[in-house]
Order: sequence, then C-alpha cells, then structure tokens
Amino acid sequence: MALLEVRGMTKRFGGLAAVSEVSFDLQGGEILGLIGPNGSGKTTLVNLVTGALPRTAGEVRFRGGSIHGLSPHAIGRLGVSRTFQIVKPFRNLTVIENVMVGALFGSRGGAPSLAEARRRAEEVLDFVSLSHRAQTAADGLNVPERKRMELARALAMRPAVLLLDEVMAGLNPAEIDAAVALIKRIRDRGTTLIVIEHVMRAIRDLSDRIMVLFHGEKLTEGPPVEVLNNPEVVSAYLGRRYAERAGA
Amino acid sequence: MPPTQWTRAGVAALVVLALSLAPVALSPFLIQFLINLFMLAALAESWNIIGGFTGYASFGNVAFFGIGAYTTGVLLTVLKWPFALALPASGLLAMAFAALVGIPILRLKGHYFAIATLGVAETMREIVYNLKITGGGTGLTMPITKSALPFFYLMFGILVAATAINWWLSASRFGYGLVAIREDEDAAMAMGINAALYKTAAFALSGAFAGLVGGVSAYWITFIDPDGVFKVIITIQMIIMAVFGGMGTVVGPLLGALVLASVSELLSTQLVSLAELFNGLIVILVVLFMPKGLAEVISKREFSLRTLARNLREYRM
Repeated sequence: MALLEVRGMTKRFGGLAAVSEVSFDLQGGEILGLIGPNGSGKTTLVNLVTGALPRTAGEVRFRGGSIHGLSPHAIGRLGVSRTFQIVKPFRNLTVIENVMVGALFGSRGGAPSLAEARRRAEEVLDFVSLSHRAQTAADGLNVPERKRMELARALAMRPAVLLLDEVMAGLNPAEIDAAVALIKRIRDRGTTLIVIEHVMRAIRDLSDRIMVLFHGEKLTEGPPVEVLNNPEVVSAYLGRRYAERAGA
Repeated sequence: MPPTQWTRAGVAALVVLALSLAPVALSPFLIQFLINLFMLAALAESWNIIGGFTGYASFGNVAFFGIGAYTTGVLLTVLKWPFALALPASGLLAMAFAALVGIPILRLKGHYFAIATLGVAETMREIVYNLKITGGGTGLTMPITKSALPFFYLMFGILVAATAINWWLSASRFGYGLVAIREDEDAAMAMGINAALYKTAAFALSGAFAGLVGGVSAYWITFIDPDGVFKVIITIQMIIMAVFGGMGTVVGPLLGALVLASVSELLSTQLVSLAELFNGLIVILVVLFMPKGLAEVISKREFSLRTLARNLREYRM
C-alpha cells in the first residue's frame, strides 16, 4: 500500500481547471519530484493534498485512510506537512520560536511541554544549520535563511510526508548543493518527500521518480533521466520547435 | 523558572500585596481613582487577548462589557438575585455571547472583522434599548451600597486574574498558537493549529473578562442605560491603552491604563474636552514613535527620531 494515494484530483476555479484528474501514488521512503512550467498546477496540487483548498473532485488517502474533507490543521497533525512557495514566517517571533510552534502543534502523540518543544526546535535548527540565527527575529533573516526556517518549522512537526514547494528558489549553486544534501538527509531520517522545484539539476539529483504537470494535467511520470529526456516534457517546457531541434 | 522570571514574579507579588493593603491608607478619592484604573486596566488586558495576542482588532468589545453590565443589572433589580450569583452570570453570558458571534465573524479578517465587531456592539445597544426587561432607554437603577471597598477588591481581583491569563498566554502552548495565528494564519493552520477553535476560545476569554468588569461596574455606578454601557469610546479606550502600552505583551495594557487613567484624571479636572484631545494625540504619537508600545520602549529603549523617520517611510506619510 502506498503511503499517499491521490486519485482523480480536480480543482476548477470557475471554468478554469487548475488541476485536472491527477492521480499518483507516493511510496514510503521515496522522493517524488514534481515539475511543470509556471501555472501548471503544482502549488494547487499541494494545496489540495494538504486541505488548504477544497477540491472539486478526487480523493486523497493517507496510510490507507481517506483524509478528504479534513481541515489543514488536522492533516498537518496526521503527519502531512508542507512549506509555502512564498514563505510565511511568523515575523515577530524569533527563529527558534517559529520552529517551536511546529514542535508544539505538529507532532502526533500528545503535545510536548514548552521546554521539550524548545529542545526539539534546537535539534531541528542544528540539523538545517540555522542554530546561529536561533535568537534572531524571523523578520531579520535573508531569503535563503527564511526558506531554511520554513523547512525547519515543517520538520519540527515530525512529518511522515513532507511537501516542499520550491525551497531552492533564489539560492545560488553552492546553496542548492547544500539543500539537495539536506533533503536527502531528511529522507534518510525516514520522511517521504514530494519536492517541487524548477532547478532541473537539483530535481534530477534528488528524485527517485519525477511527475510532470502541464496545464493541470499529469503529462508523465517515471525515472528522472527518462522523464527529463521525454520529448513531450521538453516541448512543454521549451516549446515544440526547441524539442524538434534537440531531437534532430 | 529562570532568575528574571523569579524577579518578575516577586515584583508582581509585592505590587499585588501593596495594592490590596492600599485602601487602609488612601483617601476615598484615591480609592475611587484606583477602582477606575483597575477597571480600565482589566478591560485593556481583556482586549489584549483577542487584539494583542491573536491579532484580531475587535472594535466591539464594549458589547461584552455592556452584556455583563445588563446581566448583573437585570438579575439584581428585576429577578432579585444576589450579586454573588449575578456577577458570575455576567461573565458566563458575555463569554457565551462572544463564542457564539465569534464563530461567524472570526472568519473575517482585518478591516472586515473590525467593522463586523463594531456592528455587533451597536446592534446589542439597539436590542437592549428595545427590550422590556432591560428597562429600555430609561435604564436600570441598582441599590446603592455604602462602601466602595467591595468594588475595589472585586475590580482588583478581576484585574489580577486577567493579567494572570495574559501572562499564561505569553508562556503556553495555547498562547503560542494564538500568536502564530496573528503572525500568519495560513502557516499556523498548516502547522497543526486549529485556528477556528483557538480564535473562538480567545474571543470568548476576552468576552468573559469584559463581562465581569461590566457586571462590577454596573453595581458600582448604580445606574446603567444602553448609551452609557455600549459606548463605542469604551472599546476605543481599551484599544488605546493596549496599543499605547504594547499589544500582545503582559505589562503593556497595565502601563497603558496607568498612564491614560492618570493623565485624563489630571486633565479632566481642568477641562473635560482636553482629556479627549489627549487620547487622540496619544494615538498619533504612539503610531509614529513607538508602534510596539511603551513596554517595548522601556525594555529596549527603542524611542528615537530614527524610529519616527523609519515609520514615516514605512507608512508613506
């Protein structure tokens, strides 16, 4: 049984189908790369899976049980967490307090005490190499640091499934390498991941499988090398003429 | 607890002790002043729960004050309940009312929430105006009590409890949940916080304290009418005190109440309108010079022309 099963997921905004009939399985322990041009419905899919948006049709099963209709906080507590493409820091809280909130509310199996949450937050900050900024107000972080804090908050929830929505956007090549290594370590600690990313090198290095969305529909799914060389995928990203020339 | 917290707890205990012994040494005028101060401070602390910690700027908290006042009023005069039962009823009814209206209106944010709460308070005034049991526009007159001391201790007790709740919010899981909602509600929900429940609980808690203050206040001033206890200015005062002292902090609303009550007492002996002018002036100056309030200025000495310049820039004035 797959850890997360998505079936026929559809979201229409008026006449526009942002996500249309998307189905996929997420196996425990894997990293699924999710790519697609801007506006192809990646973030909408994340919002649908995590309950942030009501779906038009379709179903999500987590560990075999339907999580359809649950509110975002309930889904978060079950063990499905996410980061936001446009980061949403708690600006007036310090970095460690931001992460503590994740530890306080996310974890399954009862609420920890403040002291315990603080200890867990310290551990997570250490893991993402942000300890030196623990006492800084979140407002004072630069963009790469904010992305890492966003990741730390989600990790503090001790999720079974983690959906990362472009955590590498705006990072330089060295920082991307570090992020790739970090995400692999997260998987090694037992978290299953869906990673949305535009940085192709990173997504190729990270993913066990890649799924491509195009105009809200699933274009293809498979091993990274196969998917990234698929003429249909190339033409979706770069246009048909480029694909034809590359193929020739 | 870390040493600084022990110091704070010690200072708080001393202040509570000193104030509870104060009536022995004070003139009736000063006792009246203190009752008024406790009332304002308790209202500011109660507003702070929803406005300061949760970030939902309620412009209608006077509704809970008024409901509390009228609950005590009606129960005392019409149904002849003892005050000892009427007062808790005031708190409970205001709390239940806050929870009930909170469920729909807490779905609104920002200006929309502010306007909706304003509407709730005005609606309550009209309802009370038109009910028979409340005496309508004539109001209700309560039996006069000889001593001010019971009111002193009741108001003080409510203030201590309201402050204690705010202190608990500043250092508890529930409080962190409220602050997370204030800072970013979508992120808070994604992180496992039941925002709808938390907001409603905060609003109900805020309502309960405002209701209790309303109940004591009604018996203390012995006469209530709809225009008096549903006055918009009462909500505005709560907001000014909390903002002036520092929203979302424990001591902020206390400081705000102390300064505002003292200054308007001094000014109103000269000229009543001067006190109101001062309130308006305070709002402008606070927003410009110390948007985080007096508590922040004292603890971080963050009061400078540079802050003013930065705020002018940020707010594009």
